[in-house]
Amino acid sequence: MADPLHQFQIQKVVDLPVIDVAGVPVDLSITNSVLAMLIGVGSVILFFSLTTARASIIPGRFQVMAEGLFGLIDDLAESIIGHDGRAFFPFVFTLFLFILSCNLVGMTTYFTATSQLAVTAMLAILTIGTVIVVGILRNGLGFFKLFCPSGVPLLILPILIPIEIISFLMRPITLTLRLFGNMVGGHIVMKVFAGFIVALASAGVAGYLGGFVSLTAVVALTALEFLVAYLQAFVFAVLACVYLNDVVNLHHH
Amino acid sequence: MSVTSSPEATTATDTSADAPVTTVATLEPVAEAQASAEAAHGDTHTTTAHAEEHASGGLPQFQTEHWAGQMVWLVIIFLVLFVLIAKVFAPRLRKVIDTRGATIAEDLANARAIRDEAEAQAKDAAAETAAAHVAARKLAADAKAKAAAEQAAAQAKEDARLNAVLAESEASIRAKRDEALSHVTEIATDTASALIEKLTGKAPTKTALTAALKKA
Repeated sequence: MADPLHQFQIQKVVDLPVIDVAGVPVDLSITNSVLAMLIGVGSVILFFSLTTARASIIPGRFQVMAEGLFGLIDDLAESIIGHDGRAFFPFVFTLFLFILSCNLVGMTTYFTATSQLAVTAMLAILTIGTVIVVGILRNGLGFFKLFCPSGVPLLILPILIPIEIISFLMRPITLTLRLFGNMVGGHIVMKVFAGFIVALASAGVAGYLGGFVSLTAVVALTALEFLVAYLQAFVFAVLACVYLNDVVNLHHH
Repeated sequence: MSVTSSPEATTATDTSADAPVTTVATLEPVAEAQASAEAAHGDTHTTTAHAEEHASGGLPQFQTEHWAGQMVWLVIIFLVLFVLIAKVFAPRLRKVIDTRGATIAEDLANARAIRDEAEAQAKDAAAETAAAHVAARKLAADAKAKAAAEQAAAQAKEDARLNAVLAESEASIRAKRDEALSHVTEIATDTASALIEKLTGKAPTKTALTAALKKA
């Protein structure tokens, strides 16, 4: 059976020089992970360029799709963040489309960039970084009230403040690991079951039944993984909105 | 699982050498890529460190030498998409959706105005019909009343004429009867005179007759 982890191996596609940034070597080569991101985001850009270039009041099929995605995230941002949601819509929409397209490229054609820890970690850093920057720009030092909920008895504060700080620090980690774990787990399980088909079918007639069961499982898992691909992108967008809401509407807490 | 891919059993060179066998996506042999990467690093110590990481097994995602490049590329790609969405796609979509909402609202308002107008017209028409009904009913009643009055007048006139004729006739009858009655005494006298003359042979006197008739 083929190694189910091999699908995550980074391979270089186009060699580019390594540059040194503050002592850290940064290999700018285009790897399969980078190429998958380029394919995904390129498709998104192509899709939205074509559908919005001649956007009409009576939409075509693809424009309905584009408007559906737009409306989904627009409503999400508006309902969670409130009136200021529109200001953060482009960021959340970018996150959603980036993750969704990378997940779908992984499901359909090439390589799953979102199964790379570096990618999910960077997405989480971008999200939390935006949250912190927005929080400080909007509230100044009042940003730190995030860790001190109002209306809490003084006695509980010594316990509550460390919990709030830890929960805030855990956010980028959970964002990273949730997406990473979902994509890696799903792809490994699919690969393993697909390997079973070959292994069992080559074992002779007795293995055909097992092979067929494995095939059914792979088909079912593929459907499930498409759901997960969409769901994880959506969950990431929802959490980004929730975290942004915490700092945007800080004084309401 | 293929024998060659067992991480513990292979050295760094083995790993890179067997990579192309199981790789679908690579466009260049990995050995060459790795060689160039090593050349770029120019540090045998780093290379051995990497090799150890390759050989340590586990998820390939933990090979940290690939992290920085992916992160930098991700940020670049993310920013490009972000700028395009923020400056191009979102405004276009928002504009078309807002335009559609405005158009629909306008059309609805127009339709509502037209409906209201139609309803007003229908109400006017109904009112006109009702007015016409009232006028027609009044006209009919007037005509009826006029006809009735004319008829009554004509009848009264005819009644009066007939009454007059009747009264005249009655007067004439009464006169004739009175006249006839006034002749009765005379006839009786004559008859009595004639009867007595026939019976007695001689005519009675006029005074005797009159007295006798008065007694009768």
